[in-house]
Parts: sequence; C-alpha cells; structure tokens
Amino acid sequence: MTEFIILIIKLILIIAVAVGMVPFLIFFERKFAGFFQSRMGPTYAGPWGSLQSFGDMAKLMSKEDLVPAAADGPVFRIAPYILFVPAFVSMTLIPFGPMDVDIFGYNVDLVVSSFDAGVIMFLALGSLAVYGPVLGGWASNNNWALLGALRSGAQMVSYEISMGLAVVGVIVMANTLNFVDIVDAQAGGFWNWFFIPQLVGFVIFFVASIAELNRDPFNLAEAEQELVAGYMTEYSGMRWGIFMFGEYVNMVVMSAVISTIFLGGWRAPFEFLDVIPGFIWLVGKMLFFIFLYMWIRWTLPRYRYNQLMDIGWKIFLPLAIANLAVTALIISVV
Amino acid sequence: MGLKDILKSSTFYEILQGMSVTGSYFVGEKVTVEYPKEQIPPFERFRGVQCLISNPETGELNCDACHICATICPSNCIFIESSEGPDGAKQLDSFVIDLTRCIFCGFCEEACPRAAIAMTSAFEFSTYNKNDLILTKDWLVENQKNLHKELRKR
Repeated sequence: MTEFIILIIKLILIIAVAVGMVPFLIFFERKFAGFFQSRMGPTYAGPWGSLQSFGDMAKLMSKEDLVPAAADGPVFRIAPYILFVPAFVSMTLIPFGPMDVDIFGYNVDLVVSSFDAGVIMFLALGSLAVYGPVLGGWASNNNWALLGALRSGAQMVSYEISMGLAVVGVIVMANTLNFVDIVDAQAGGFWNWFFIPQLVGFVIFFVASIAELNRDPFNLAEAEQELVAGYMTEYSGMRWGIFMFGEYVNMVVMSAVISTIFLGGWRAPFEFLDVIPGFIWLVGKMLFFIFLYMWIRWTLPRYRYNQLMDIGWKIFLPLAIANLAVTALIISVV
Repeated sequence: MGLKDILKSSTFYEILQGMSVTGSYFVGEKVTVEYPKEQIPPFERFRGVQCLISNPETGELNCDACHICATICPSNCIFIESSEGPDGAKQLDSFVIDLTRCIFCGFCEEACPRAAIAMTSAFEFSTYNKNDLILTKDWLVENQKNLHKELRKR
C-alpha cells in the first residue's frame, strides 16, 4: 500500500515538474528571443515580466472554443492531447536520482518506472506523438493544416530513424535498454559520460531531436510564410494553447532524455559535487539543452524541405549506421 | 563539395559563427526604449504642436493679429479673430488652431514677422475626444513650456 502511495506521489511530482516548467519556458523563450534580437522581451506582467505566460493563459482560456464546421469534431478535439500525453509517459522513465534512497524512513527509488525496455518505450512514444500533428491537420479539413501535418509526419518519421540508431551506440556501450542502468553506466566524473565516446551519436541525436520537436530550423510543419500555421491553422483559444503546451512539454522531455542518455543524467560532473542532489543536476542539464534549443531557434533560418530530407536520409542515417558499426566493432574487440 | 566544405559542415563552423553573433547580441546592450517610462528627447528643429510666444518681461503676446500665418497655412487650420483695441491698434481676440487639420509643416512659424508663433517639442496629444484637438489661445500660450530650449535663448 505504501508503495502505491509513493508511486502516486512520484507521478504527481513528475507531472508537476513537466507542467510547471512550461509557463516559465514559454516566458524564457520570449525573453531570450528578445535578448537575441537586442530587445528586452516581455517586461510588464510581474517582476521582470515573469508572469507573462499566465496572462497569456488567462487570455487563451477566455477565448471562444472554435471548431470549424467542416472539421472532424472528435478527432479535432482530441488531437492536441495526443501530442503531450506520450511526453508525460516518457517522463516517467527518467531517473531523477539514485535508487533505494531513504526519505522519511521510506525506501524510495527516484524514478517512476525502472523499465527494462525504457529506450524502446521512449522511441515508441515519440512515434505516437506524431499522431497529434497528423490527426490535428487531417481533422481540420484545411489545405494548409493538411500540408503542415504531412510535412510534420514525414519529418518526424524520417528523423526518428537516425535518432533511434544514434541511441543504439549508447545501448551497445551500456549493454542495457534501461535508463536507470544507462545512468549507472556513466558513474564517475564527466569523462565517463557517453557524449565523449559517442560524440557523433550525440550530435545526431541532438539535431534529430530538434526535428522531432518541430522547432526552428526544422519547423517546416509550421512554416509561417508558406502554411499560415501548419497543422495549427484552424486551432484557436485554449485548444491551440494545448498544442503549444504539448510542444514545450515535449521539449522538457526531450532535453531530459538527452541529458540522461549522453550527459550522465542526475550524476554530477565531479564526484566531490555529489553532495548537491541529483535532481538539481538533471534539471540544470535540461535547462542547458533548452537554452541551446532556443539559441539555435533564434539564430538559424528554416531549412528548405529537400535540404531537410537530404540531411535526414543522406547524411545522418549513414553516419548513425557507421557510428553504430564502429562502436559495435570496438566494443566487441576491446 | 571539397574537403574544406565537408570539414566546415561537419564541425558546424558556419552555424557556430551565426550563434556567436546572436550570442553577442544576447549579452550586449539592448536597443529598446521603454517609451512611456523613458523618452528620446525630440530634435532641436522638431515640429511639434504650436505655441504662442509672449514677451517674458511684460507678459504680452508677440502676436499682433496680422493674419499672415492664417493666410500661409496650407491646410487652413488657423482661425484668428481681431478687433480694434483701446489705443487704436489691432487686438487679438481669439486664436484657434484646428489640430485635426494641421499638417505640422511649420509655415506659420516661418511666416510670422514677429516670432509670435513657434513649433514646440510637444508631441503627446492623443485623445479620445476630437474636441480636445481644437486648441484655443489660452492653451497655446500655456504650451510655451514645451518650447525648444534653443528658441528660448533668443
């Protein structure tokens, strides 16, 4: 019984972290967008403008919930949720600290599920998230929405392959599919983290994750200049807000996964820094990646569609396979 | 694609170059002027809303109701009424500028032979009521406080 209660508490905490970070991520995105363009970003709502997202949310809530007459009602309504429910589920696989910790006399693992096929689960859930944009764009019954959905689907599917193959290098090195064990395999200082031996895999995974998140420079699914707002064209009010929300939740999850797989998860870069709890290290690494995503978004222009496909299929896929082959060779020889 | 290009794209050389540029903007000075809180002072020759200049010693208006400004005004927005004063000279009764018509060309200031009307630095007169933009003599005299500093010296 206590185990069950602890599990519920952990689930609530995980969702609170993922959801609670989002308003501030949106605020920081806007603030940093301003900074990168020599502007100041939002300054009026709250100290330093920090309550801007809550103001936006209140505005979105008060707007009319519009479903186009020609749209496929139920699918149109459910599509935004499909985008972020898989993200929440992926979040449960991420370890936030060591196993068997003693908290208030209870023996707690600081992970919701130490799942043996965690990496596979994460990739599968990533594929499920494709349904959000695709169904949303299809159900909208709108040319731009459909084109955006098609692009988003094609892009996510093609980058998933190089992404999956990039992780396999790590799986071969750690000899496990469990995120908890992958973090354990990176114990010690930062020189044991997988981003050094798996630098190619790390870079491929990072770039592919940008494409998975539909962010600049790979945001062809939204491509404002060509497709109005892509698959979100017909969405308005809080339903649109949930789409946006889902994108940022996905960003949180993706950065958590990258830091877990390649940057040692909750482990400190030096062993004497272990006094700082692992939770803080993980969130710090996540924020680093999120900042990197924002920096890239506000620097690079959008790729052309054929360039996007070229990068995915002609460069990253062969590179990921070569990386996997070399890793497997070295692991089996040494 | 030569070796140099392959090296460049595999190290993300150009992307990192671009990111260093945006990074320098990120930490650099911001160009935003938060308008209601801070203002850029108008230029010396800025043509804001007009004022009527009075003699600082006697307090009398320089204007002697010669109607030159009303005549030269391209949009006919100056309305002057005058009568004969007690000493036989012309006396200014009312001086109205219709700001809804004014194009801020500054001809009135140029044409005035006695430097009685001048453009000032005031530019914040947005209002919900159009009647606020019919400026009377009292308003224009009061508006002397916004006169350009360079003009005040003369």
